[in-house]
Amino acid sequence: MMFNYILQLLGYRFFQYALLGGSIASLSCALVGLFVILRKESMIGDGVAHVSFGGVAIGLYLNVQPIITTLVVSVLAVFGISYMRRKGLADSDSATAVILAVGFSTGLIIISLAGGFNVELFSFLFGSILTIGTGDLVLISVLGVSSLGLITVFNKELLSITFDEQASRLMGVPVGALSAVFNLLVAVTIVLSIKVVGMILVTALLVLPGLTALQLDLGFRRTSFMSVVFGVGNVVIGIFASAVFDVATSGVIVFTLVACFLLVSALKKGLVAHGK
Amino acid sequence: MTDAVIEVNGLNVSRNGRRVIEDATFTIGRGTYMGIMGPNGGGKTTLLQAILGIIPHESGSIQILGKPMEEFDQWNKLSWVSQHSITFDEKFPINVRELVSLGRLNRSNLAKPLKKADWEKVNEVLKFMGISKLADRRIGHLSGGQKQRVFVAKAIVRDPEVLILDEPVAGVDPEAQKRFYMKLSNLNGKQGTTILIVSHDLTAVFCRMSHAMCVNRRVYTSPISPDADPNEVLQKVYGEHFHFVFHDHVCEGFFDDV
Repeated sequence: MMFNYILQLLGYRFFQYALLGGSIASLSCALVGLFVILRKESMIGDGVAHVSFGGVAIGLYLNVQPIITTLVVSVLAVFGISYMRRKGLADSDSATAVILAVGFSTGLIIISLAGGFNVELFSFLFGSILTIGTGDLVLISVLGVSSLGLITVFNKELLSITFDEQASRLMGVPVGALSAVFNLLVAVTIVLSIKVVGMILVTALLVLPGLTALQLDLGFRRTSFMSVVFGVGNVVIGIFASAVFDVATSGVIVFTLVACFLLVSALKKGLVAHGK
Repeated sequence: MTDAVIEVNGLNVSRNGRRVIEDATFTIGRGTYMGIMGPNGGGKTTLLQAILGIIPHESGSIQILGKPMEEFDQWNKLSWVSQHSITFDEKFPINVRELVSLGRLNRSNLAKPLKKADWEKVNEVLKFMGISKLADRRIGHLSGGQKQRVFVAKAIVRDPEVLILDEPVAGVDPEAQKRFYMKLSNLNGKQGTTILIVSHDLTAVFCRMSHAMCVNRRVYTSPISPDADPNEVLQKVYGEHFHFVFHDHVCEGFFDDV
């Protein structure tokens, strides 16, 4: 009976869109997120996600597609954080805290000007993957393919500057330009993932797959591959589970990601304890 | 010395308002194997960082491979292993082969995958450094000596003309240090790579290398020959009576071929 229900779900267009959109977003998050963790910039993901609240509010207020205003605001935010850090105005965490506060308060002011919250704003805050339309899917696909293209093309260079920035610079690698590309990647990836889990939980989608893969003690290629497996796998499982049990999709996705992380960590500890 | 790979003239470098290198003038010829010595805080790392353009210098000039440092762009001909190379995050997910392959990066292969020839070179260098069996091991799981060989492999996989190593054997056991110096001698002798290495191991410097440099704000260089008296050079830099204990049997092992 459960199997029949799942088959029935797969026949619905909204469900197919949810699976496709979720897979693209989680694939992008898994690859970009691994670099975010290794660069010790997980807080930037959280900061940009919160700043995007201001972007959504601007879009709704101006009656422009919110994902576009969110993209612009998020890109400005990552470059703002990077600028403050580079100029020595603040370290990474402090710069993120400042930009986060500016973005979020901008959103609050605009919402009060608009006369309060509406349903659409909630869908951006908490995600609404089951309501993805054709337009959303096209936008997610375009952003997803761009993000995956950039991270594939510059993979070895990003790995090099993440491992040792100074040595990379002396090898002639354009560290500044690549850092800008990476900032762009983070912003794009967060924006395309907001529809999936919402801006409050997007950091989980960005960080947990990579964090889980890191428990396996593998080389970089294999860690990246496992990060994608954990990210896409848990999003797909979460979407099915939320439909079957009729609970909030974003919550279930994050729950499966956390459960997977705990399971892998426990298995690793168990194996280490048994000296394997 | 034959043609110069590094020429420094009247170099002055300060850090936090304190003069660290004063009026340094020296030339390093192609094929030189130079040991850089001096007390802690004497300016060894500062000197190397100034040569590489990592930190600015106040006055004087630096030429690398015939070009002023400010205009130098042939970074594929020069490799550097920093003092802090091995103090990376032990949990970083990268294996030996992946890390060494990063040494093949340069401006001409930006945004392009490494070619078959690059991977062949990586395998050749892994073999040369005796770390082929470690190729698939995570770098964080290796011993200090193994890590050092991996970082030198990453540096030499570029086929550099000049290799600069800043205290590469700190914290490595004596046996591994000896093997490490032998590999460098081999690289210098067979491939003609110019090597500058910061080392506190005076025996290794005087037994294995062609030149010694002493840095203690001022910079002194001297060729090493079997007849040279290490005490003369060392007394200048340490500024006090210096007695270098030099056991004959120690050098015998160091001069062995690899």
